[in-house]
Amino acid sequence: MIKLDKISKTYHTDKVQTLALKDIDLHVRKSEFVCIMGPSGCGKSTLLNIIGLLDRPGAGNIHIGGLPVQSYKDKHVARLRNDTFGFIFQSFHLINDLRVIDNVELPLLYRSMPGGERRERARAALEKVGLGARMEHYPNQLSGGQQQRVAIARAMVGQPDVLLADEPTGNLDSKMGAEVMDILLKLNEEGTTVVMVTHDEAEARRAHRIVRVFDGQLVA
Amino acid sequence: MLKNYLLTAWNVFLRRKLFTAINLACIILTLVVLLVVTAMLQEAFYPSGVEHRSNRFLQVHMIEATNEKHTSLSRGPLGYRVIDKYLKPMPGVEMVAAVTGIEPTSVIMNGASTEVNMRHADAEYWRVLDFKVLAGRVPNEDDVAQGRMVAVLARSMAVKLFGDPAPLGRQIGTGGQTFTVIGVVQDALHLNSYADMWVPITTYPNTSYRHQMTGRFFALLLARTPDDLPAIRAEVQRIAARMDFAGDPEFTSAQIWADSKIDMFARSLSSSKDSNPDAGALVLSGIAALMVLFMLLPALNLVNLNVGRIMERSTEIGVRKAFGASNGQLAAQLVLENVVLCLAGGAIALALAAAVLWWLEAAGPIPYLRVGINFAVFGWGLLITIVFGVLSGLVPALKMSRLDPVHALKGAA
Repeated sequence: MIKLDKISKTYHTDKVQTLALKDIDLHVRKSEFVCIMGPSGCGKSTLLNIIGLLDRPGAGNIHIGGLPVQSYKDKHVARLRNDTFGFIFQSFHLINDLRVIDNVELPLLYRSMPGGERRERARAALEKVGLGARMEHYPNQLSGGQQQRVAIARAMVGQPDVLLADEPTGNLDSKMGAEVMDILLKLNEEGTTVVMVTHDEAEARRAHRIVRVFDGQLVA
Repeated sequence: MLKNYLLTAWNVFLRRKLFTAINLACIILTLVVLLVVTAMLQEAFYPSGVEHRSNRFLQVHMIEATNEKHTSLSRGPLGYRVIDKYLKPMPGVEMVAAVTGIEPTSVIMNGASTEVNMRHADAEYWRVLDFKVLAGRVPNEDDVAQGRMVAVLARSMAVKLFGDPAPLGRQIGTGGQTFTVIGVVQDALHLNSYADMWVPITTYPNTSYRHQMTGRFFALLLARTPDDLPAIRAEVQRIAARMDFAGDPEFTSAQIWADSKIDMFARSLSSSKDSNPDAGALVLSGIAALMVLFMLLPALNLVNLNVGRIMERSTEIGVRKAFGASNGQLAAQLVLENVVLCLAGGAIALALAAAVLWWLEAAGPIPYLRVGINFAVFGWGLLITIVFGVLSGLVPALKMSRLDPVHALKGAA
């Protein structure tokens, strides 16, 4: 499904060069649930961003569905993100100017899809995460857990092959965190590949595989 | 997609009310001023109303007389002799009218004195211009030839003097003469038609005006078609070269110019003695350039405001990118928001401009003004505003749409 080959990434500032990732080889199979763990600043999020094509590696190759994608132009990368990935962020990143239903509909806006079908799929996604009654609310009218569930609905509404979650429970209490984890596991059982960054060992143990990063390198 | 964009735009506008208000104010002020100024210019220069034939008449408003040594110079309105002897017999014109400039006079009515702007006109004047006669009639050749003491009033003056919009047969006394009202016409503000009262040219107390080369008259030269105007201009120049100042030792030669309204305005601005056929076009170009400059200021202001507004939304831009928006789609969204704001501003400006023009007519700071919205100008103004809206949104939109999504998500625009 996803294959990283000798991926490196260096951040450049005026005077300092910081090596974020070095020679990462990673293969994520279809329907796998992979957790990426490691200390703060070790490069976990950078790795997730490179997998999700939000960031470009300094060196190495990326294959998505068997196709090399690192040379893709913006338009193709945008298409690939839309078709293949769903993102869940630690701080939700919902658009506060839009209602919950409009937030969830967002990935479908960038596809050729009739408005009625978009609305129906967004409604179904919200009902799946238990927020069917909150569609007309605005994000800031919801609790943190509810906002993250809206973010999950948004990530899955386009039925992507892969969900990329960057510490999705990091801003939630344990009960809400468990609810979110249950949803991700359910989606994985239904066939969606999940790659998740987390600090929580207990959550990571529920995944099929744990990948550990230390100083920009895979250690296990 | 459009609905989502519009919904986002609406909420952004509501959330940032001050920004929205300043932006709207810029757009509205620009369009209102543009519409009002254009309406006034159209009233002054465009063939319309009483002077709807102005596309085929020329005006001779000034004679400049001098002697061979240039020790004496007279510049001012024409004497009647120039019109009667030289212009009226001109070939190639349909009609030549003579009318004086505004002659302020006082009318005593019921013991009260009223200032009245009067003109003396010949019969052709009423045929070159197209006054709307509200009551009675206007003077004809016979009235002028017989020197009948008749007068035509503008409606507002008829009401002011007599409290009656049609005081036909009533008497008006001014300058020791008494005139009988034979007609009432609609108020008009145009250059050649503005007056409160008109009387025949032949009602002057004496006939000395008939022999003067310089005086108080203007001539209107009506061509058969607009295509004849250049030939008439040239003929007027030839006539000026052979004008005879016999009996006047002070002057030996003179220059006169047949101008369109806009050319005359251009000449008054430049004080040019030359007959420059492009002067009017130059003035119009100057006015257009001033208008564009006038619109450029709010556009630059919009650019500045938009940069700040869009920078604040980097997280949203990052999210949209993460979920599949391309750079082009994001730029289009951000520009669309500007266009929506411009359209809203345009709609408000249209209503406001109509209100301002209505006030200008009704409250009467400019007497006899009749102006309306020029929808062609509104359309162009709105189009230009939208173009500025697009341009002012495009620079920050392109910048933001090219942001690295990771940085955008961190809010690090």
